[in-house]
Order: sequence, then structure tokens, then C-alpha cells
Amino acid sequence: MDKITKFLERIGRGVGGVVGALFQAGRESIDQVITNVMPFMAFISMVIGIILATGIGDILANFMSPLASSLGGLIVMSILIGLPVLSPLLGPGAVIAQIIGTLLGVEIGRGNIPPQYALPALFAINPQVGCDFIPVGLALGEAEPETVEVGVPAVLFSRMVTGPLSVVLAYLASFGLYS
Amino acid sequence: MQGIATAAEWFIGLFQQGGGVFMSLVTGIIPTLVVLMTAVNALIALIGPEKIDKLGEVAGRDGAAYYPLRYIVLPVLACFFLTNPMAYTMGRFLPEKFKPAFYDAAVSFVHPPLGLFPHINPGEIFVWAGIAAGIETLGLGLGDLAIRYLLVGLVVIFIRGILTEWITSVMWARKEAAA
Repeated sequence: MDKITKFLERIGRGVGGVVGALFQAGRESIDQVITNVMPFMAFISMVIGIILATGIGDILANFMSPLASSLGGLIVMSILIGLPVLSPLLGPGAVIAQIIGTLLGVEIGRGNIPPQYALPALFAINPQVGCDFIPVGLALGEAEPETVEVGVPAVLFSRMVTGPLSVVLAYLASFGLYS
Repeated sequence: MQGIATAAEWFIGLFQQGGGVFMSLVTGIIPTLVVLMTAVNALIALIGPEKIDKLGEVAGRDGAAYYPLRYIVLPVLACFFLTNPMAYTMGRFLPEKFKPAFYDAAVSFVHPPLGLFPHINPGEIFVWAGIAAGIETLGLGLGDLAIRYLLVGLVVIFIRGILTEWITSVMWARKEAAA
């Protein structure tokens, strides 16, 4: 009898643990969606709505579509965004990358940018990823102050090379995509 | 009077367009996102993210053989299990000289997997979803683009890790020579 109750208790605990983990996972996702995802959707919708309704979109499209429809243009974009002076300013929350990405998406949807440029464009809008966050990121890794002092410029300089390089790699990897 | 009415209609039209965009984002992205994030969060909770700590200790060793471990395997697992921004805490297992490069590699991997694993960085999902929306508008599949984004991302973080490690060592040597 004792064995049976022990066995039942173990099953009960195990199932309870799994169900608890699943429920917690659901709570985390809902929290994330409400606190991080939906506010950004509201913001993006407002920007895109105004851009589409006022016709600013057509002006932007005239400027951006040629830039985003050639390898050279995308490289230029990545070099500009990856400049060590600009990249920390453009980084926070990936807001700039998300807005440019959404605008490019609209133009791809309209047929102004060929879809095979989607892959290199994903890298061209993002050479600044995390450049605003280097000291904090290093502190999370328990880095010494001297490491931060060297690490911040090291990452920024490295991006000047790897930003455009990532666009070229993505371009090469996009052969056979949507064509 | 007619003029005012037209102006009012135009004004509200700006936001109706935005509302339409918001509606399509909420119904198009959130349902799958919530379910997928719940599944992955539950999986992570059941596996236990502390299991990758051991790997961090091994990845800090010197020698070319440890490059792929340090700048591909470790950042990928850190991003997957700890997500942005806790992934960067894995840097604490590495020697100081590798920390900036590891941060560079890890932070560059918070966007490339978004097409498959949005739980890594749901707050910045539009880096991916903006451009992906354009592809969807054209009626093309996203799977191919999502996989290629992830694979090119792997190559890019590897290059970033190696290059940033090298730049860090050069700058460190210079700083010590000057001091």
C-alpha cells in the first residue's frame, strides 16, 4: 500500500511539474507579446499607415527602391549604417532596422524591389545590431572595465568590415531564391 | 464646410490605413507566434538552460579548434536557450580577451533565426517580419528565406567572432605598449 501511494505521488509530482512548466511558458509568451510585440506593432502600423496614406511612401520608394534593388546599393546602405559614429545611434531597440525593413517589405510587396534581394537586404539593414548595447552586453558577461574600454571600439571597427561583407555573403547565398 | 469635412475624412483616413495594417499584423503574426513561443519556452524550461554552462567553460580554451565552438555553437545555444539579452551572460565563462568577440557573435545572432525561432527576440521581430511581409504579399513561401537567413547568419557570426577577436588583441597590445 505504501509503495502504491509513493508511486502515485511521484506521478502526481511529475505531471504537476510538466503542466506547471507549460503554463509558465504560456504566461511568458503572452507577457512578451503584450509588453514587447504589440506596442511595436502599434507603432509600426501608425508609421506605415501614415506613409501609405499620405503618399510619402512613393517618395521613399523612389529613393530606396533603386538602392535596395542592386548589390552595390545594399552595400552602400550597410556601409552607411555600419559607420562607427552612426551605428551606436541607430542601434537602440533595432527600431531603425525594423522601420527600414518594414518599408522595404512594402516595396517588395508592391513589386518595386525584386524578391531575391530580400536576403541581402536583411543583412544590409542590420550591420549596427547591438552596437548601442556593447558596454551592457559585456557587463552581462562580467567583463572588466578594461575589456569594455577595448571591446567597444573593437566591435565597432569590426562591423565596418563585416557589415558590407555580410551583405555580399547573403547576396551570394540568395542565388536560386525566388527566381 | 465641405472643405472641413474633406480634411476630417483625410485625417481619419491616415489612421484607418494604419488600423488595417495593425489588424493584419495582429491576426497574421501573433497567433502562431504565441503558440510557437509557448512550445519553445516549455522545451527550454524542461531541458534546463543551465546545461550549457559546461560548454562555456570548454569554449574559452586557446587554439583554432575552439573557434567554431566559441563563435558558432556557444552563441547559437546561448541565444536559443537564454534569448536576448540574457544570452550575453554566457560570456562570463570566457577569458577577458574573448569577451568582446563573443558578444559580437552572440548579438549578431538574435535576428537571423527569427523566421524559425521568434522566441529569441520577439520584441525585434520586425527586423525579419517587415521584409518577410513583402514576400508574403507576393504569395511566395517564407521557408526558404528563413533557412537561408539563419545559415548565412551562422557564417556571419563566425567571421565576426574571429575578426573582432583579432582586432581586440591588436588594440589591447597597443594599449599596453602605450601604458
